Amino acid sequence: MPLRPVEFHILLALAADERHGYSILQEVAELTDGDLTLEPGTLYRALHRMLKDGWVVESGRRPAADVDDERRRYYRLTPLGRRVATAEADRLWRLLAVARRHRLLTRA
Amino acid sequence: MPDLNGDRRLAWWLVWMYPPRFRRDVGLGLVDTLDDRMRARREAGAPRLAVWIRAIADTLRNASAEWIDLLRERGPATFERRTGRTMIDTLQQDVRYAIRTWTRRPGFALVAILTLAIGLGANTAMFSIVNAVLLRPLPYAHADRLVTVWATIKGNPRTLVLYKDYRELAKQNSSFDALGLWLSQSVNLTGVSEPQRLVGAFMTGSMFDVLGLRAERGRLFSEEESAPGTVKPYVIITHDFWQQRFEGKDSAIGSVLTLNGTPQTIVGVLAPVDSRSAPGNGWFLSADVFIPAAHFPSPRGLDSVAMIGVARLKAGITPATARADLDVIAGRLQTVDPLTNAGRGVDIEMAHDSIVGQSRTALFLLLASVGAVLLIACVNVSNLLLARAVDRQREIALRAALGASRLAVTRQLAVEAGLLAFVGAILGLLLGRWVLQALASLRPPRGFPIPQVIGLDPTVLLFTAAIALFVAVVCSLAPALRTSRPDLRDVLQAGFRRGSSAGGRTREVLVVVEVALSVALVAIAGLLIQSLLAVQKAPLGFDASNVFTLEFRLPQAKYRQPESIAAFFRQAIERVRAVPGVQSAALVRALPFSGNWGSTSYLVEGGTPPAKGSEPLTRYHIVTPDSFRTLRIPLLRGRDFTDRDDLPSPHVAIVNDTFACAVFPNEDPIGKRISTPDTGPLTIVGVVGDTKQLSATEPAQPQLYVAHYQFPLIFTALVARTSGPPMSVSNDVRKAIWSVDQDQPMWAVRSLEDTVGATLGQPVFLATLLGVFAGVALLLAAVGVYGVMSYAVAQRTHEIGIRLALGASDGRVLREVVARAAKLTAAAIFIGLAIAVAAGRFAATVLFGVRPSDPITLAAAAAVLAVVSLAACYLPARRASRVDPVIALAEE
Repeated sequence: MPLRPVEFHILLALAADERHGYSILQEVAELTDGDLTLEPGTLYRALHRMLKDGWVVESGRRPAADVDDERRRYYRLTPLGRRVATAEADRLWRLLAVARRHRLLTRA
Repeated sequence: MPDLNGDRRLAWWLVWMYPPRFRRDVGLGLVDTLDDRMRARREAGAPRLAVWIRAIADTLRNASAEWIDLLRERGPATFERRTGRTMIDTLQQDVRYAIRTWTRRPGFALVAILTLAIGLGANTAMFSIVNAVLLRPLPYAHADRLVTVWATIKGNPRTLVLYKDYRELAKQNSSFDALGLWLSQSVNLTGVSEPQRLVGAFMTGSMFDVLGLRAERGRLFSEEESAPGTVKPYVIITHDFWQQRFEGKDSAIGSVLTLNGTPQTIVGVLAPVDSRSAPGNGWFLSADVFIPAAHFPSPRGLDSVAMIGVARLKAGITPATARADLDVIAGRLQTVDPLTNAGRGVDIEMAHDSIVGQSRTALFLLLASVGAVLLIACVNVSNLLLARAVDRQREIALRAALGASRLAVTRQLAVEAGLLAFVGAILGLLLGRWVLQALASLRPPRGFPIPQVIGLDPTVLLFTAAIALFVAVVCSLAPALRTSRPDLRDVLQAGFRRGSSAGGRTREVLVVVEVALSVALVAIAGLLIQSLLAVQKAPLGFDASNVFTLEFRLPQAKYRQPESIAAFFRQAIERVRAVPGVQSAALVRALPFSGNWGSTSYLVEGGTPPAKGSEPLTRYHIVTPDSFRTLRIPLLRGRDFTDRDDLPSPHVAIVNDTFACAVFPNEDPIGKRISTPDTGPLTIVGVVGDTKQLSATEPAQPQLYVAHYQFPLIFTALVARTSGPPMSVSNDVRKAIWSVDQDQPMWAVRSLEDTVGATLGQPVFLATLLGVFAGVALLLAAVGVYGVMSYAVAQRTHEIGIRLALGASDGRVLREVVARAAKLTAAAIFIGLAIAVAAGRFAATVLFGVRPSDPITLAAAAAVLAVVSLAACYLPARRASRVDPVIALAEE
């Protein structure tokens, strides 16, 4: 079954780094060249589901106090979350291959 | 920083809308992220309201979805495909249905949304003010324990506290954490390029402790440093004054200000208090400089000076306990010091009440009025929805017969009403902001403590959301009750003829409600306009036109002797009289309507002396010769003061008509002798007409005038009658006074007419607002009556057609429709008048010169509504009488 786009984007945003809520929103906007602007409520509903399903966890670590505000909560991927993201990327890649075969791709 | 706080507070409120489990798991993170997002958008230049609305919209969507997931007791399908119709789907369908209906009939949607926006906007604006004035605490630490301390005397439970009593109260009480005294008075700042008048707060060192104030630079002065004997030449300045005069430099500490002729050293800068939202314009913090109490200019020492007492109750001490404690001390003082304290008590009042108390009635009256406007708006929208629902009755009945649940029908109505309320609320918020700006420009009256900044804050948003929800429920209630239990057989048997009287009764009740509320609003507005007119017409006793005024205070250090003060006065008046355009000029101690006044007790020579503490009181004026002519106060008997009534000559007095009639009935008061504690014996030489001193609405009082040259005091005001516009002499008059003393600052430079006009603020403010509300109510009621009667006529087209075909005259049909409307209107007017009388009783304190049950006003309100309501039903009635029987019957 396909992932919801919101969830896949969150997984992508967390792939490289652990991030706090607003930083996820910024990263998602950047990844999609500003096409997708998530609202905080939408983000946290998805995060809440993903926390319950064990794809992400709240990171216990905090960056040094002078780098960032200490009050923020950071999230990172679990191994399960990483596997879900990989599976979704694989699925998309296979679809992409089909599209390419049918010359549906405009870009190389 | 305060903006940030607003965002964060809103974020907290918003997150509260999510289910508890969600909040526990990720609530804090969501608060941060909402806050971050709002700040980022604002930094990108988006207006605050737009940012908030997006955050609210986001929350409404996601929080409701989260609740629905929770109620369905299964997590949202992440991997399984969703099948069947979920609640969200149905809701979306209902919303789409509603929007489709609106686009098909944009007129309906427009009217409904605008109606609600007006109601919600007015309520948002009014609640913003109530919230800021009545609900927000004073901006001091432990504001809920701050009390004002008053001295009570016979006939006046709210007088100032003598400094000598303050010392005893501070020593002996066991109820206060801290007790302080303060009084604000203008002070002259000299030794600078142009002499300047500052607002000074003379205060005991303990005041800082009472209010929990800190120094931002330097230090505060202590109780000891403010007390007579141990007083230091210190002064503390406010943050604003520091920025203005010293550009915020640290070198301000230690510099010297010459205040009232005495050099005083700046020892500290007071940390600013967030007074943006403080009622009463920051209360005493509107002073520029804070000066130790013992520097108060008083010829007889600080002990006899009376000031405003403020105290902080100990935690857990109730006002009642404190009162009992203070009563004991006051009793002790009466026995120890009977000469000054006979009959004097002590009372306390919550400080917040002292500041906002008087405007409470007015505010609640306004809030109740906008509430009534909102109800009327709801009734109209409810009527529109009901009319539509009745139209759809056959469809609904069919759907019900085919198995649609009642719930589905009701839900559709509720969703539509909710959507209307939501859109109306968003528009209402914008409207409310605009209304607030308009109100601020109306210049809210003196004594009506509207904070300088009234913004929409989270509490206000929450209030608006709550009343919007209320609107949605009220609007959908009547239609839902009507249509969710249609009698299937009746409706279907009615064939293709449109339902006859379905919903008719409900709509009639609704119309009665809205007309009744409109009657009440129009009546109250009428009462307020009547009292405004009465206030404007009330005789003042003097002629305020073409009078130029200014106030000044001679520095005590420079003018120590009564002779030097009197000499200054004589010279100044002489020079002012010589100014071209000035017809006559005089000095008066307290300008009428300036808020200044004095009173004194007095004894009549030869009469039986009354008991200590119950001497009669009179208003007390000190004036120079020619003041009566300048203000055009009629001299009824005897003579005015003259230049020969000076220091060495026998002391004379002039009394007003009320005084003369009350004290010397059937006798000639000229030549009679009276005495006051301040002046000693006085001989009455004249009688003048009564004048108003504080407001046009005060009752007539005994007034006593003494001669300024015999009792020269350093504070006084100049009044000058001009031949042209009063302000045209402003510069020349000031130059004339500066030619006597170039160091003398002057203020309150304005025309007497403006001063008098400013006191009309409250009646004008109330009458304007109520007038607008009543106008809106009238309009909405007219629309409501028109709508209901049109609809009733349209529904009866068939029946009317038959009757016309059978020979009924069109006049008869017309009469019948109008008669129905008249009956409803009569019932509504009756109910409305009852509401108006009850509301008028509540509002009695803001009325003047008109009784709450004034028959003329009530009759006028009834007549206005009768005319409006009959006019609104005339068009539909005429349409009914012109029905073409052929067409009506062919409709089958």
